[in-house]
Amino acid sequence: MKHIEITINGKREELDVAPSETLLEMIREKLFLTGTKEGCGMGECGACTVVMDGVTVNSCLVLAAEADGKSIVTIEGVGTAEKLHPVQEAFVKHGGSQCGFCTPGMIVSGTYLLKKNPRPTEEEIREGLAGNFCRCTGYTKIIESVEAAAKMMGEGGDS
Amino acid sequence: MTVFYRRLPKFEYVSPKSLSEAWEFMQGTKGIDYQVFAGGTDVIPKLKRRQNQAPKCLIDIKGIHELDYIRYDANAGLAIGALASVYSVAHSCLVSEHHPALASAAGKIAAPQIQHRATVAGNICNAAPSADTAPALLVLDATVRCVSVSGERIIPLKDFFTGPLQTALSDGEIVKEILVPRSSAGPDSCYFKLSPRRRLDLAVVGVAAFVRANNGVCEEIRLGLGSVGRTPLRALSAESSFRNARITEESIELAAKTAAEGCWPRDSIRGSAAYRRAMVRVLVARAIKQCLSGKPLGTLC
Amino acid sequence: MEKYSVIGKSVPRVDAVQKATGDAKFAADLSLPGMLWCKILRSPHPHAKILNIDTGQAESHPGVKAVCTGKDFGGWTWGFMPQTRDEPPLAVGKVRYQGEGVAAVAAVDEETAEEAAQLIRVDYEELPGVFDPEEAMKPGAPAVHDHVQNNQSWEFHMDFGDVERAFEESDIVREDRFETGRVMTGYLEPPAAVAQYDSNGITLWGAKQSPYFVYRHMAACFNLPLNKIRIIQPFIGAGFGGTKNDSVAGDFCSVLFSKRTGRPVKFVYNMEEVLKTARRRHNFIIHSKMGMKKDGTLMAIQQKSIAEGGAYTAIGPLTLYLSGALTTLPYKLPNFRYDAYRIFTNHPVGAAMRGHGATHTRFAAEVQMDIIAEELGIDAMEVRLKNAVTAPHETINKVTVKSCGLTEGLKTLRNTELWHRRGKGGASGRGVGLSAASYLGGARQLGHQSCAAVIRLCEDGTVNYLTGATDCGQGSDTVLIQIVAEEMGLRMEDVSIKRVDTAVTPCDPGSYGSRVTILAGMAAQRAAQDVKSQLAQFAANEWKVQPGDIEFRDRKAFVKDRPELSMSFEKLSKIACYSRSGAVIIGRGYSQYGLERYDWDKGLGNPGTSYSFTAQLAEVKVDLETGVARCENTILAHDCGRPLNPLNVHAQNQGGTVQGLGQTLYEEFLMDQGITRNASLTHYKMPLSTDVPNIEIIDIITQDPDGPYGAKEASEGCIVSTPTAVVSALKDATGIWFKTLPVTPEKIYWALQKKKE
Repeated sequence: MKHIEITINGKREELDVAPSETLLEMIREKLFLTGTKEGCGMGECGACTVVMDGVTVNSCLVLAAEADGKSIVTIEGVGTAEKLHPVQEAFVKHGGSQCGFCTPGMIVSGTYLLKKNPRPTEEEIREGLAGNFCRCTGYTKIIESVEAAAKMMGEGGDS
Repeated sequence: MTVFYRRLPKFEYVSPKSLSEAWEFMQGTKGIDYQVFAGGTDVIPKLKRRQNQAPKCLIDIKGIHELDYIRYDANAGLAIGALASVYSVAHSCLVSEHHPALASAAGKIAAPQIQHRATVAGNICNAAPSADTAPALLVLDATVRCVSVSGERIIPLKDFFTGPLQTALSDGEIVKEILVPRSSAGPDSCYFKLSPRRRLDLAVVGVAAFVRANNGVCEEIRLGLGSVGRTPLRALSAESSFRNARITEESIELAAKTAAEGCWPRDSIRGSAAYRRAMVRVLVARAIKQCLSGKPLGTLC
Repeated sequence: MEKYSVIGKSVPRVDAVQKATGDAKFAADLSLPGMLWCKILRSPHPHAKILNIDTGQAESHPGVKAVCTGKDFGGWTWGFMPQTRDEPPLAVGKVRYQGEGVAAVAAVDEETAEEAAQLIRVDYEELPGVFDPEEAMKPGAPAVHDHVQNNQSWEFHMDFGDVERAFEESDIVREDRFETGRVMTGYLEPPAAVAQYDSNGITLWGAKQSPYFVYRHMAACFNLPLNKIRIIQPFIGAGFGGTKNDSVAGDFCSVLFSKRTGRPVKFVYNMEEVLKTARRRHNFIIHSKMGMKKDGTLMAIQQKSIAEGGAYTAIGPLTLYLSGALTTLPYKLPNFRYDAYRIFTNHPVGAAMRGHGATHTRFAAEVQMDIIAEELGIDAMEVRLKNAVTAPHETINKVTVKSCGLTEGLKTLRNTELWHRRGKGGASGRGVGLSAASYLGGARQLGHQSCAAVIRLCEDGTVNYLTGATDCGQGSDTVLIQIVAEEMGLRMEDVSIKRVDTAVTPCDPGSYGSRVTILAGMAAQRAAQDVKSQLAQFAANEWKVQPGDIEFRDRKAFVKDRPELSMSFEKLSKIACYSRSGAVIIGRGYSQYGLERYDWDKGLGNPGTSYSFTAQLAEVKVDLETGVARCENTILAHDCGRPLNPLNVHAQNQGGTVQGLGQTLYEEFLMDQGITRNASLTHYKMPLSTDVPNIEIIDIITQDPDGPYGAKEASEGCIVSTPTAVVSALKDATGIWFKTLPVTPEKIYWALQKKKE
């Protein structure tokens, strides 16, 4: 076992992790943050997307041990029911979720995209979400949600 | 496979902070006693699938920060450290300006989350015939500096790939950096990737070109092909046919046809050999024309 | 149109916040103390006898608590109909497809279960397999099931009118062969469940679209009465029919292990496992013959389908039935003959998927109609307008259409700029295509088909709504609450819905065939009306009027035409609930079909309660040198009666369109001697955000007289219309008719090469 220190959603945590434990497994099973999902386990669907040291990664491909000393943001750190992030608000209002399974990863990618590029074109949104698979929505309302969030944030909302 | 695994097999994990520390862990046979990794985007899925026996120890080199760089020197050319991410290379203004084929190729890999973790060095060390950066680096005459406890050597990239998923790296050896000579700098290189979907797909065929012309004559041409042989390769016969030739529709078409005839595609789930051969012909012609057009395809930086 | 307070409004989904925050719990997110993990060991061979299974090493592996094989289920098998119960929870005697479950392990954690599963030694005797249904039908072919002649799983025949005479009277008769391909649902959440067997019976928290199917399976398998089976639904990561309507090996094994060990047991499949073993759409080979008069009048269709069923029957009989019963829409068709055969092969099982049945035969008929119209020099829009059904309509197989917006939809598309780009692509590789489709809502099958609702009034005027209807992501919870809220004059937030729990919520067949809004909606309306009539008694007493004079709106109860006699719903609830020693107000209702004639064997009668109509334009851009095609724009003019939640209806249509697009251009399972060669999301190519067209949805309102507030199904039609619209666009772009799906770049390339010669 390896002893690691991480910051998760702004909180410092210390954990013991097995060498072959993935970051996704650690988040879900040791920290009980089940918002981040496992879809394919192979980095092909983005359901497990989290932000690690400022960039989005597929947490199913990251070993928990690699996260030592790093800062992780999961969907739970993006916003809460009491205080939704504009991207979350937009998803609610514009129908960005259907079954909701891809939603956490999609929202994490969406917030990362807008942080880097507060005024993306539609094409840039599509590219930014290309690592997040969805079968229910056909992506249209997801793209509209991110566009709406960008507008909200541009007009002085939270970022 | 009779069991569909969600968990990784057991292995040890170490994260050396320096090359010398790394070499201490790199004892025995690579792939069996140890496996070096950085981004993990090829290594981890393979381990999950139980494609090969799990190595005893995974060596994470991301702690060797000195390996994380993209440097350009007007004399020496471009140096990409082993830890430079695909994303950073794709979005590097240095790379886009001096070696557009490489920035373009890196930018076409998978999707954002993968690009943030994957490294260009890892892309070539995985040595899939479809590796996107390989044809681009081949046409840019790249070399690979490999280091071990016994010293270092520089291997031309065309000699680095020895078979499907096989490289010339010896046990105990690690890639330190990829070098692209100054002579390959300029706007006249490009990379085209053929795939049904715009993202995530592996290349059905990958074509890179580097073309220099003067007064309607080809001064230099290098063509790199991916997914049409056991390794990424240079289309040497096609290059010979076009080098020093007058640039016309016919000579371009001849180069394309020669490239198509001089590769060894297989039937696979991505496409038939016949289709891939035909696509080499189409894309080589397009790539040559793109290089000659003087118009950049668009950069990410 | 009437003014409604929530019906017809784009209210956000009632669970949208939970999903956006990651708070929504799916089956794999659940854990119980002492829980074990279950792992299935699967066959490497597509067809083999099981000679021996040695579980000794696995059983003695540290951390393993139980091991089971097919024999442990006592010979029990299950299936869609009593006579088709051919599928065991784990293989018994032989395996019939690669990946079929053979044994399972329960261990203290998943790693241990995985390690131990590999220690089970299975001795197989490989058998020759059949992987092509046309080969499998031939005498002497290896038999997937002993005693089944020519591997025929099922057959279905329809014969209406006189096709022979109609062909004689036709000016053009064509015969073409079509094939619709090997595709699947593509849900992102792999099947998962947590099972518990204790003195209460069985409790299973599982990703199930039809929890009541599972409750019957478990009752039968474990010999328990239905009232001891409790299937509880967490959120479900999509279904689209097939696997999540059924039980899977993991469900049966987890329950068995829990029974043996007394501990809860969890399983989670992985995506490769899903791609290799889960239910998928049947691949149909359709020989279609069509006759038309030179003025474009459709005279007759005769089709023969060979459906690849895979290893077991499952819901195959219904697939065959729907593939015929729905062919007589959306065009007037006076003569129709259909012969369909479902054939066993050593492949994973073909089952239901969105657009069930119609995506095959209507693909063939729609494309063929276009081919003939082209030969006759009749424009694609005109031939459709000429033959389009209008309401009221009864088809030759007695499918009754009471509302139809097809003509209006087609005309709307005819006025678009996109339509005018058709035929103008020239050598650019651009093309525009047109298609139309109809799909049923309110599906009926055999057996129990009713939805029920229970509405429980809380003393403070808020309401608990209990339904067995399943929201598997399509948004039915939201729309059903809209119906209850509208009916009772309440706000959305006054109505609380509980996830399905078969111990508490009333029985319902589940989500398939677009039945939930229509049938569960009907049940919800009736239950709401029941509560209102009980409350009306109390109000009537208060005001000394007749109960029939009481109305409910804006959270108030009042006397019709006498607005001064009104009180808040909350106050009336208190009055009612606290009357005398207390009253409990519970409303109930269930949906029922009429008693019209319905003949399953002949394909006669209504397979659903109503039918949506979709007209669609699609624009593609083809790289004529490489064959790579993209759909860039699509417009759908769809008639779902009236969208009860336009936001949701549009979202669903967009989703169905992209799913249909995937199956047209990108998706196919590449099989080689029974082995799935592309079982990953990189190689089984479903559209990503960078692949989807601009999608415009136009609502055509027709107010169906039977649906709640005029609603019919939405978004199964578009998965039927999209492939044909795209194929029609590819014809416009390349001059080539593609009759087999998917139309991959390589297929386009070779067809273009052939055309040049």
